[in-house]
Amino acid sequence: MTTVRVGELHKRFGATVALDGLDLEIGVGVTGLLGPNGAGKTTLLRCLATALAPDHGRIEAYGLDPADSRQRTALRRRLGYLPQSPGLYPNFSAAALLGYVAVLKEIVDPRMRRAEVHRALEEVGLSDRANVKVRKLSGGMRQRLGVAQALLGHPDLIILDEPTVGLDPEQRMFFRTLISRLGETRTVLLSTHQTEDAGALCERVVVLREGRAVFDGAPRALAQLAEGQVWRSAGPPEGRTMYWRTAEGDYRTLGPQPPDGVAVPPSIEDGYLKLLGPAPAAGTIR
Amino acid sequence: MTEQSSDAQLLRAVAAEDMGALRLLYLRHAPWMRLRLARRCADPDAVDAAVQDTFVAVWRDAHRYREGGGEAAAWLWTIAFRRLVSTLRRPGQRWVGDATGGDDETVPSAEDLVLLRIEHGDLGAALDRLSPELRAIIQATALDGLTVREAALLLGVAEGTAKTRLMRARARLRELLA
Amino acid sequence: MTWHVDAELLQEYERGSLTPSRVMAVDAHVQACAACRAAVPADTARLDRTWLAVADTIVTGRPGRAEWLLRRAGLPEHRVRLLAATPALRWSYLAATAAVLALAVAAAYTGQSAARTTLVLFLVFAPVLPVLAVATAYGPPADSMHEITSATPMAGPSLVLWRATAVVGPAMGMEMIAAVASPGPGWWAVAWLLPAFLLCVGTLALATVLPLARAAGLLGGTWLLVALAAGSSAPLVQGVLFGPAAQAGYLVAVIAAIVVLTLRRRHLNPGENR
Repeated sequence: MTTVRVGELHKRFGATVALDGLDLEIGVGVTGLLGPNGAGKTTLLRCLATALAPDHGRIEAYGLDPADSRQRTALRRRLGYLPQSPGLYPNFSAAALLGYVAVLKEIVDPRMRRAEVHRALEEVGLSDRANVKVRKLSGGMRQRLGVAQALLGHPDLIILDEPTVGLDPEQRMFFRTLISRLGETRTVLLSTHQTEDAGALCERVVVLREGRAVFDGAPRALAQLAEGQVWRSAGPPEGRTMYWRTAEGDYRTLGPQPPDGVAVPPSIEDGYLKLLGPAPAAGTIR
Repeated sequence: MTEQSSDAQLLRAVAAEDMGALRLLYLRHAPWMRLRLARRCADPDAVDAAVQDTFVAVWRDAHRYREGGGEAAAWLWTIAFRRLVSTLRRPGQRWVGDATGGDDETVPSAEDLVLLRIEHGDLGAALDRLSPELRAIIQATALDGLTVREAALLLGVAEGTAKTRLMRARARLRELLA
Repeated sequence: MTWHVDAELLQEYERGSLTPSRVMAVDAHVQACAACRAAVPADTARLDRTWLAVADTIVTGRPGRAEWLLRRAGLPEHRVRLLAATPALRWSYLAATAAVLALAVAAAYTGQSAARTTLVLFLVFAPVLPVLAVATAYGPPADSMHEITSATPMAGPSLVLWRATAVVGPAMGMEMIAAVASPGPGWWAVAWLLPAFLLCVGTLALATVLPLARAAGLLGGTWLLVALAAGSSAPLVQGVLFGPAAQAGYLVAVIAAIVVLTLRRRHLNPGENR
């Protein structure tokens, strides 16, 4: 079921084009945004979170248009948002911070608010840190607190800008469980730099480049873009730019078959690299 | 901190922001606190509110507890009773009977000892024969540890009246015990 | 101890069927005897509920001093929470403002020749301080959480106005004290009030078009330029900038700014880049 529609979205900051006529439809479940820095991920998320107005184009989320101030407020009632830099007040305790955001989310009754703060802390596993000041929390815990504030008030649309950044593997695991559970009933849109996160978490992946969607589909389909183009060989392949030495000591090549190459199944990262080409510094493949 | 830790140890831990220690204190002291408060107030919700306020106050003020200053239970009761009184100051609350309590900032241990012997001595009979308002002032000051001023507030009389009643109560007890 | 409270006595105590003296005896004994205290049966469900309330209250924290003051002023609790999170209401900011003003007052007393200049400077700078406070009341860059704030339903005009009011109050209050404490003619103490108020309301009105910080910078800067240009001569400052004619003009401008602000309040979203 489609819950969020974006059409012809444009946004520029001075001379920089962040979104260049983006079209996108997403629904209930977890959708991941991938793309290099500056591809427009954060700009798109900020527009959807009503923190930024697009220059032109349409946004409709749960039937609400954020360009209209009344509907924008209505949409905000159904929204949970973790920005890239949440800027959580360092001198607030975890619980006080959530209490503050809960008030911003119109949970005015103190009793209900306490219960809601309690629930959100529990959901991200921070119950025992409730009265620890934000500045004394580790990076991963702060990130969890950021997610907790997004979950206050049971939002239908959850927007998370790089929620897994700075997490250790154990916390990552915890997050994956949490986010996939959220995705059962709500629309979750998250951006990430980690292709393995996208593969593990998202039923759908959208790859952005230069403000446009260049891929939209299942993670498996993203991997399949590199089907028949991933090879393993004993030595470094000649004259190629997209290869690297693996942990097993052999070489993995993306592109045409090297002389001693054996075909291996592609990963999401392979598909992603195939789609976008190597980073500019590493030369070009096209 | 374990269930075997002393009250003083637990209070020290609470002063160091140990929630587990507060929980142990709560489990140990809340039941009797409820019972005694319930004797003084007919509204169970007000009693619960007082218990809640008490432990929140303990969390905040645990560092003020001095081990030499008397038993922890007495200290806790002082807080609990004060909290009940302030809960009941709000409108729409009722005391049980005429006997109102006070709290024990200044629990006079000598008088406690006397009270412990109430059961067997003449003092019990004497107390029963006191008029209700004189008994109330004795209870508020001697047993619940209020200052005369606080007792006056609690009983809704002027401070001077409370002082007079206390003097009369003492005189009457002496008379009855003579 | 010669006796203990047995179950039967406890039940009678609970039922209220004991004579007053025996109630007092049980009270006194329970107070002194740990074993009897431990023997009091617990209503687990009730105790658990109360415990949760205790834990919640502790965890949610006690109000700070600023919050307490606002509560005493009769504001509802949730509103106080919003205001107390205002960056410019932090004690560090208030302390800095107070220190600046204290220095100004101290400087005014140091020498007679310097005093006059200091006072003129005070008059010139006084209207700008509240504007600075307004600029830091909401949105970037003062509020590190503005991105989260701006995506919540409470974001918008009313939050901006509440916070602006909340920060202008203390700023004006402190200045008032400083003005009264300074040597000089009595009217100096209030001469800056109207311009200060105008700059604040004007900033908010301008913020329906520009980001709040920029609006504050623009108006505050303009005031400083004009005032300092005139500031080279004290009579000019006293007679013109703060004279009766100018004050009347400020009043008219304040009313105009309030009208603009009322009409355009929907556009007062200075935290958002729209």
